[in-house]
Formats: sequence, C-alpha cells, structure tokens
Amino acid sequence: MNNISAIAGVVIKEMYRRKDFYVLFVLTALITLLLGSVRFFNDDLIVRYLKDVCLLLIWMSSLVIAITTAARQIPAERESRTIFPLLAKPVGRGELIMGKFLGCWLACGLALLVFYFFFGMITASREHAWPLVSFFQEIWLHWICLGVVVALALLGSIIFAAPSSNATICFVAVAFILFAGGHLSHLANGMRGMAGIIVYVIYYLIPHLEWYYSAQDLVVHDWGRIDWLYWGVATIYGLLYSGFLLSAAWLAFRRRSLTS
Amino acid sequence: MIRWLSILLLVCCFTLATTFEPQFTRFHREHDSSGSVFVALMGDSRRMFANHFFAEADAYFHSGFYPTIFDTPAPEEPGHLTETQEEHDKEDHTHEETFLGKPSDWIDRVGRHFYPTVHTHLSNGHEREILPWLELSAEMDPRRIETYVTAAYWLRTTLKKPDQAERFLRQGLDANPDSYEIYLELGRVYFYNKKDTRVARNLYNLSLQKWRRADAAGGGPDGHVYEEILGEMVRADRDAGDLDQQLADLQELLKVSVSKDTLQRSIDEVKAQLARRPPPH
Repeated sequence: MNNISAIAGVVIKEMYRRKDFYVLFVLTALITLLLGSVRFFNDDLIVRYLKDVCLLLIWMSSLVIAITTAARQIPAERESRTIFPLLAKPVGRGELIMGKFLGCWLACGLALLVFYFFFGMITASREHAWPLVSFFQEIWLHWICLGVVVALALLGSIIFAAPSSNATICFVAVAFILFAGGHLSHLANGMRGMAGIIVYVIYYLIPHLEWYYSAQDLVVHDWGRIDWLYWGVATIYGLLYSGFLLSAAWLAFRRRSLTS
Repeated sequence: MIRWLSILLLVCCFTLATTFEPQFTRFHREHDSSGSVFVALMGDSRRMFANHFFAEADAYFHSGFYPTIFDTPAPEEPGHLTETQEEHDKEDHTHEETFLGKPSDWIDRVGRHFYPTVHTHLSNGHEREILPWLELSAEMDPRRIETYVTAAYWLRTTLKKPDQAERFLRQGLDANPDSYEIYLELGRVYFYNKKDTRVARNLYNLSLQKWRRADAAGGGPDGHVYEEILGEMVRADRDAGDLDQQLADLQELLKVSVSKDTLQRSIDEVKAQLARRPPPH
C-alpha cells in the first residue's frame, strides 16, 4: 500500500506542476464569465443556460485531464527508462498500475473540486441557492465516471503504441458512449441478423458512462437529488468497471516486455 | 509632380470612400438584417443551428425531458411552446409512454434515474430560462417567425416585460415585414399590456391585411391565425365600444369559425344593443 500511495503522490505532484489543468480551468472560467455577462431581455435571473454551458465545459475539461494524464503515465516511464529502477524497488507491476490509477483518479478528483467550486459560485451568485446534496451527488458520479475513463486510458496505454493514438481512441470511445451508449439497444432492435447481435453485445459490454453524464441535466434543471439507492448502484457499477479494466491492464502489462 | 499626384490620389480615395460608404451601409441593411459575422461565417447552415436552438428552448421548457435523435418524438401541436403548466395538466399525455416507452432492460431502468423522466412545463416565471435560446435562434435565422412570437408571448404574459416583447417583435418585423403572426402578437402587446386599444386595433387590422395578401398570393397562410386575428379584433371593438365594427368582425368570424352557435348568440346580442341605441341626431 505504501508503494501504491508513493506512486500516486508522484502522479498528483506531476499534475499540479503541469499547465494543463490551469489552462483548462482559466478557459472554462473565462467562457462562463463571458457568457454570464450577456444579458438576455434585461433579465438577471436567467441561469440555466449558464449552468448548462459551465457543466459542459467542466465535463470536457475533466475528460481531457483524465485521458491525457492517464495515457502518458506508463509510456513516459518506459521512454525515460525510469520504469526499470521503479520496478526494481521492489514494486510489483500490479502496484505500479494501481498507483498510477490512484494518482490520476485523485488528481482528477482535486481538479473536479476546483471546477465545481467555481460552478457553485456561479450558481449561487445567480440563483442565491446552493443545493449541496445535488452538487455532492453530481461531483461524486462525475468522479466515479472519471475513474472508469482513467482505467480505460491506462489499459489503452499498455495496448497501443503511442500515447497520442491511445488518447485519440479513448476520446472517440468515451464520446461514442456518452452520445449513443444508452441507445444501442434501440438501434439493435431495428437491425436484423448478426449486426443486431453485435450491437447488443457492445451495448452490454461497454461501461454506461452516459448515466453519469446525463445526471448534470438534473442539476441544470433543478430536479433535486437522485435516489440514494440508484446513486449507490451507479457507484458500485463504476467501481466494478474500473476494477475490471485495471485487472485487464495488469494482465496485459504482466506479460509485456519493457524493452521492446 | 509626384507630390501633387499623391495628394490628388488621396483626395480621390477620400471622395470615393465618402460616396460609397453610405451606399454600402444601405445595401448591407437591405439585404440582411442579421449579424453579418454569422452570415459570413456560417452561410445557410445557421438555419440548422437556429432550429437546434429552438429545440433547445423546447427542451428547457420541459426541464430537460426531451427526446434525443434516437427517440421517436411524440407529435406536438404547433404552439406547444406557449402552453402553460395548467393547460398542460388538463391534457391527456399518453404520448409520454410512446416517447420513453417501458424500460427495455436493467441498464435502461437504472439509467432513467439519472435524467428527467417526467413531462412538465416551466411555470412561475421560470419560463425566462428558454429566452437565451430563442434570442440565439433569432440571431441565427431572423426569418424564423415562430421564435419571435414564442419569446414575445412569454415576455408579455408571465414575465410582464411588454417593452422587451415589443422590441423583439419589431426586430422580427425588420426581417419579416409581411408577417401577420408578428403583427398579431404586437397588437396583443398593445391591447393586453399597454391597454392601448386604438393602436392594437390598427395592428390587428394590419395583420388581417397581411394575412389576406398572403392568401391572395397563394401562400397558404394559417387559417387558425386568421380566426385568432378576427377574435382579437372583436375583443378590441368591444373594449372600444364600437358596436358596428364589432358586428362586422363577428360576422366575418362566423364565416370561418367552428363554434357558430356561440358566435351567433354574440351577434344577436350586439344586434340587440344596436337596436336599443338611440338614433344619432
């Protein structure tokens, strides 16, 4: 556990030394504040469009941070050959994967806290209300979702040759799941033969990240909190998928030669 | 010599600039009232965005309960976006079942707890939340009349901002000078909010003329709007106490309306009032 936390600590330090987070945060804040300064029909109480755009930017920024951070972890260690002294500590390959995952996931969590604090400030300034329970559920589900994304990018970093190709594939896969993941069963219903079966298999195989993403609509439109039971189900579902992807990453990494 | 030539060229440039600038501005105004940046950058694709923003306003009106491109949307009546929560509650919303349907599997069932699944309409002033999307829609496609009428309806009714409604409708008229719908809505702003029956009556009259012109040109204008215009004219006549005009408008309305019995009773009442009226000296 010490090894895992030490590796995770290095990853978190790396994140706050890099400029990615700061640039994305400033961009998100700037766009949101610019949009907030626009007055529609002389009405100061209009807020939902602002919440919507701000949450969209937060989601995009967090996905960029999660995927780019996770995708470069192991390839960077291999390229700079620091992986050899690291594994000679002794640190097992499983611990390395786990440490990298935990570091990326915690770093994403810290970034989310900053982003959502800004979102909360914007919301409170317009709505004069702070639905803390809804915010907590939204941040938590967002973080769980990023856990799956980080695990996916770590698995990709072992399978694919370059971090750039891995990041691109991860972005495409996540965007596809968010956009169409929940509708694949409807599409499969309209298909015949093998194509329908394949789409059904994909539907049941993919992690349904759209659950977590769509929860932002409940915050934007003030629908109140999610039933705790289903919030718990989504949490366990996300953790199980992260665990599955990390196990796959460990299995792939265990047999992988580090010199090739 | 070169110096004099340079001065001459400079004078020519200045003269040409002062000649062409007003013409260019007029040409620009006549050909498109929308932001030239949008036109230059997006061309006709902005109409697609205008439709998207209008749909976004609709989605906001339903607090996020809205079909995606993968769902089969329920057939909505025109003017659905100007229906209040009370009107909505009176209706039978069986179509909600056809839009979402029953959960197809456990993933669908659990997933439904993370997005809005209840059909509601915004109320108590929250209708303002749809306005940014309507303004954007109008920016993208200034010829989309429904955008102006919908925004003006909420601005003049629940939000009590008749000046903003009028400003937006006049903006719509710049781009759609022949729109009978916009004139009708503008007339309502004057009749119901500004309590200026004379101006309202004139605007209704203008709306009626525009409708008839569109009908004569074979444009196939909306017959329901024609009834609405005449209905508003009757109300304005009643408010102004102009019984002759009220009778004429009621008789015109009788030709197209489906509720002929009610209208006939109103006509009889007006006729009785006219009969009781003392003869002019």
